[in-house]
Amino acid sequence: MSDQQRVVALQMKHVTKQFPGTVAVNQVDFDVFAGEVHALVGENGAGKSTLMKMLAGSYDDYEGEIWIGDRQVNLHSPAVAKANGIAMIYQELSLASPISIAENVLVGRLPVTGLGLTDKRRIVEDAKNALERVGLGHLDPDMAIEEISQHEAQLVEIAKALWNEPGILVMDEPTSALSREEVELLFQIIERLKKEGLAIVYISHHLPEVFRIADRVTVLRDGKKIATRAVAEVSRQEVVQMMVGKSIAEFYRHESHATETETLRVENLTRFGFFHEVSFSAYEGEVLGIGGLSGAGRSELGRALVGLDEVDHGMVFLHGKRLRISSMSAAMARGIAYLTENRKSEGLALRLSLRENVLVSLVPRHTQGGVYKQSLGEPKLQELIAELSIYPPDPERMMNNLSGGNQQKVLLAKWMAIEPRVLVLDEPTRGVDIGAKSIIHKSIERLAQQGHTVLLISSDLPELVALSNRILIMREGRLIREMAKEESTEEKVLLAANGEGV
Amino acid sequence: MEPTKTAAVDSRALGESVVNRVFVTVGVYLIAGVLLLLGIGLQLTGAINNFATAQNMLNIIDAVSMLGIVAVGMAFVTYSGHYADLSVPTTMAMTGYVAVEMLKYGFFAAVAAALLVGMVVGLINAVAIGKFRANPIIWTLAVNYMSMGVIRLVWVNKQIYPDMTASTVRASQMFDAIFRLRFFGRIALPMVMMIILVIVFQFVLRKTKFGVQLKMTGAARTPARFSGINVELMIGIAFVICALTAAVGGLTVTSLNRVGAWYNGEGYDFRAVTAVVIGGVTLAGGRGSIVGVLGGVLVIGILNNILTLLGVGTFSQDMIRGAIFIVVVFINARSLRKMGRDYE
Amino acid sequence: MNNDSKKGRGREKTLTFIDRNRIFLLFGVVFLVMALFAPRFMTSFNLTTIMRTTAMNATAAIGFTLILIVGQLDLSIGTIITFAGVVGLGLKQYIGYGGSVPIAILAGCAIGLINGLLVAKAKISSFIVTLGMLTLLQGAIYTITRGNSISLSSPDAFAVSDWLARMIIPLITPRVVITLVLVGGFTVFLRLTRVGRNFYMVGGNRQTAWLSGMDTDLYTIVAFVISGFTAAVGGVLFAMEGAAATLNLGNTSLMYVISAVIIGGTAMSGGKGGVLKSFFAILMLDVLYNGIILFGLGNEVKIFIAGIILAAVVLYEAYTRYKHDKTVGQRAELLKEVDELKERIKTAKHRAAV
Repeated sequence: MSDQQRVVALQMKHVTKQFPGTVAVNQVDFDVFAGEVHALVGENGAGKSTLMKMLAGSYDDYEGEIWIGDRQVNLHSPAVAKANGIAMIYQELSLASPISIAENVLVGRLPVTGLGLTDKRRIVEDAKNALERVGLGHLDPDMAIEEISQHEAQLVEIAKALWNEPGILVMDEPTSALSREEVELLFQIIERLKKEGLAIVYISHHLPEVFRIADRVTVLRDGKKIATRAVAEVSRQEVVQMMVGKSIAEFYRHESHATETETLRVENLTRFGFFHEVSFSAYEGEVLGIGGLSGAGRSELGRALVGLDEVDHGMVFLHGKRLRISSMSAAMARGIAYLTENRKSEGLALRLSLRENVLVSLVPRHTQGGVYKQSLGEPKLQELIAELSIYPPDPERMMNNLSGGNQQKVLLAKWMAIEPRVLVLDEPTRGVDIGAKSIIHKSIERLAQQGHTVLLISSDLPELVALSNRILIMREGRLIREMAKEESTEEKVLLAANGEGV
Repeated sequence: MEPTKTAAVDSRALGESVVNRVFVTVGVYLIAGVLLLLGIGLQLTGAINNFATAQNMLNIIDAVSMLGIVAVGMAFVTYSGHYADLSVPTTMAMTGYVAVEMLKYGFFAAVAAALLVGMVVGLINAVAIGKFRANPIIWTLAVNYMSMGVIRLVWVNKQIYPDMTASTVRASQMFDAIFRLRFFGRIALPMVMMIILVIVFQFVLRKTKFGVQLKMTGAARTPARFSGINVELMIGIAFVICALTAAVGGLTVTSLNRVGAWYNGEGYDFRAVTAVVIGGVTLAGGRGSIVGVLGGVLVIGILNNILTLLGVGTFSQDMIRGAIFIVVVFINARSLRKMGRDYE
Repeated sequence: MNNDSKKGRGREKTLTFIDRNRIFLLFGVVFLVMALFAPRFMTSFNLTTIMRTTAMNATAAIGFTLILIVGQLDLSIGTIITFAGVVGLGLKQYIGYGGSVPIAILAGCAIGLINGLLVAKAKISSFIVTLGMLTLLQGAIYTITRGNSISLSSPDAFAVSDWLARMIIPLITPRVVITLVLVGGFTVFLRLTRVGRNFYMVGGNRQTAWLSGMDTDLYTIVAFVISGFTAAVGGVLFAMEGAAATLNLGNTSLMYVISAVIIGGTAMSGGKGGVLKSFFAILMLDVLYNGIILFGLGNEVKIFIAGIILAAVVLYEAYTRYKHDKTVGQRAELLKEVDELKERIKTAKHRAAV
């Protein structure tokens, strides 16, 4: 591919998107050539998904210019984006599972005969042609999506996108659910599409893949573009450095309060298909970080430790005694708790009050003879509201009305209320403003100071590195690395999460 | 993908505090009060007679006490976020049949057998809906039909009479008394049972571990599970309670009619849900009170009474009740939509 | 990619075929069993009786199938059937069948329209809307009829009734013809027209349907109107043939139709199924129930079995979902090494025990 033949398929000039309180994308320049795979990388919150949504036509109020080929366009609706030849492939497939492959690919535009009836023969023919392009020519287009594998479904999604003859294909984390062979097959398809002249935007966390398939890579951080480089001319280290930037002083490293007393020991914990043979120990007063890419199995591990999911093999010891946890309430009774990463769908009852959400964990403890005395939890509630600066400090207020940061604080308060010996936090500051974040960090440190053990699952690298004593790295369901405090840096963690430098 | 919207503070939602909750419950009684005034007004204008008498008031409560018994049990199912238990009518009928049959072993055997029937049906619902998450409407509807089948199988079209099956005259009299026993000459047993149930269930709902955990389960099932609550058990218990109150209701209705028949209990499913919803227990779950349900029952009772005194036929009353149901639900629908709870 | 051999794929294809067409196969089996073992099953009289009872529920099932396909629920079909029958017969003395029948059918459509609007625009769940409508109609029916069934005795009513019941060819009466025409028509519509296929997408993935340009609200409303329509047609036809409309005309229909449609392969989750499958499911159930009666078992057994079938079907669907949910999110790579892992665990246990 020589430089002279390069046609610019997409060009975004100084695009900016603001939300109340934050600038998600800040004056970003981004361009893609026809026949190129241009990767977009960055940590969570860097602005990748916002930029992508801009391309998808999800916003009608962005600033800056977007050019498709030599035309400037206003991508103010999904229909316009589609009309301009932009096709999106999301992690969540847009296919309808009970419906056949053919009808999913050709949705809304089924070929008809002269009589107005659908042309069965042409449907199959067209579908097969579409499937050929993604290497699925052998599949029967009449099969329902639910009858084929996840990987095949993803290729069908691509076939569906290709059916519109797009000029630009945007793929968001396409490999998260795939096995190694399936990833290879996907890459072959992508190579083929490249040769056909398609411009491909490839968004991913997985650096090895990016380096495998992309021609150029653009790094975003905090809504700004840091750099665009040819993949052949940059090393993974450099990319990671750019993603991570310099640690800001406000996230100074916290002192470790870890002791020698072991609280939790996990041996060969296994849940088939989710995580295999995980073993580690955690100590009193320690904040044990657990890093890794999404899908590595960290949340599953956390849930398994509290009995929310079943465990197929392995043992858990609390203070040296074997623990058999059959349910979450049993785990809570023994002093292990888990704070979920999805505060809205799994963490809080949004229709109930602040008080009810915080005290729900204490209900078993404050019940005598079946009768629950809510007032027993009042002092603790007030204490937590004060400690976490929950605003507004009104225990009656419905959770729906609190900001994200305050909601997260309430979630944390719920678990702090039972004073667990081991507290597993899963993304405790995701989607939370700076003020709330620092309050939560202080609380985490306080917990450690008081001798509790905190398992900190986080994709927020500065947070992970600043708060943790040791850091465990999980990758593809396995624990691959343990990093001591002295050697942990954001770059090293990210590299290890990607399977480098292990 | 829809454009993302920033979370706006919903002014309606701001109001969902204790004040609002109390208001909803009080509101039902306000409506009841308004209806009473309406009745008195109509009497003053001569449109109806004998409304504002003690006798009539007690008639009203008598008429609804059976519904009340069933409704306070149904409330637990609605509170748990599972809409309604549509197997109640046949549970009531089956209970009646079984009780009358068992009178040959005495009164207490009959009552015990009746409660056992309720227990069994409740457990069947509990497992299918609590554990396997079957659609509660369709499942309880199916159980309703199955029970109807059982009734047909065992008793065909027969109606059985307590005074004929009872082992002793005493047993038969006691069975009769379920409906007819009066305290202080005026207060009927069903009324007493209803009041006791209201008090007990209100306490259970507000002050016990079960009630509090049930509330969370109804308001947000997954977060409840992620808070250590055994949601399957909570839901199961709710359905068992409902079936048990249906059993008690079945005993009363059978006693009233003095016959074990397949039509005992007809219509109770829908009437109970209406009372529950009017009483402030929203279909979305996790909100409302048993005291409110009592209010709902009273509202229905007073309304029916006025309509009857006005000469409106029972079937028209059904129609009106259906309309009221839709209106009340419509008002509730906003909260349903917000919660995204929809049965597909 | 797939390690399945050609043979494996072939077997998969057969299983899929069986799964997809299971209702037709089931019907065949049930019919065969009855034909071979039930006394007097294969008589013209018996078979005609089956066809006649099937027709009413089969017509209503058409609309109900569509409702499930778009992912909704219509609990009011039973009362719509009764309502239409009552109106159709009740108004006859004033404006004749020529007037009363269209009105009855229009009424069904109107009820469907109300249901549809409340579900699609007011965004109330279909269960609640149709449950409320059910009661409303029940009350209306009783109010209009003052609790009495309607039965006509005029000569022209009998004439129509005879005509509907006359056998054109063995097994096929005009009423059956109307039903078959409707079944056939809607089958073609849903299978072979673009609009028909779109209904599936609305139920299968609403978001995608919307993004592909379909007015999902309109499709939902139309589904409810059609449901009202077919229920009304079923009720009116049945009432006309018997020249009588009892107040519980459609009472058992809801159960019949729900069981049949789900057994036939139309899922409550939407996006799949078909009118022809529902039709055969109703046929199969009617053959089954008919056979039960012929075997000498009473009506009671029939109702009981009907209830059990529905319960079994619902539980089966719930259970499969339950099992499926447990495996969501498994990593393909890890699954591959599970067997090897299990081996290692076993040997380790073994060694420890020794």
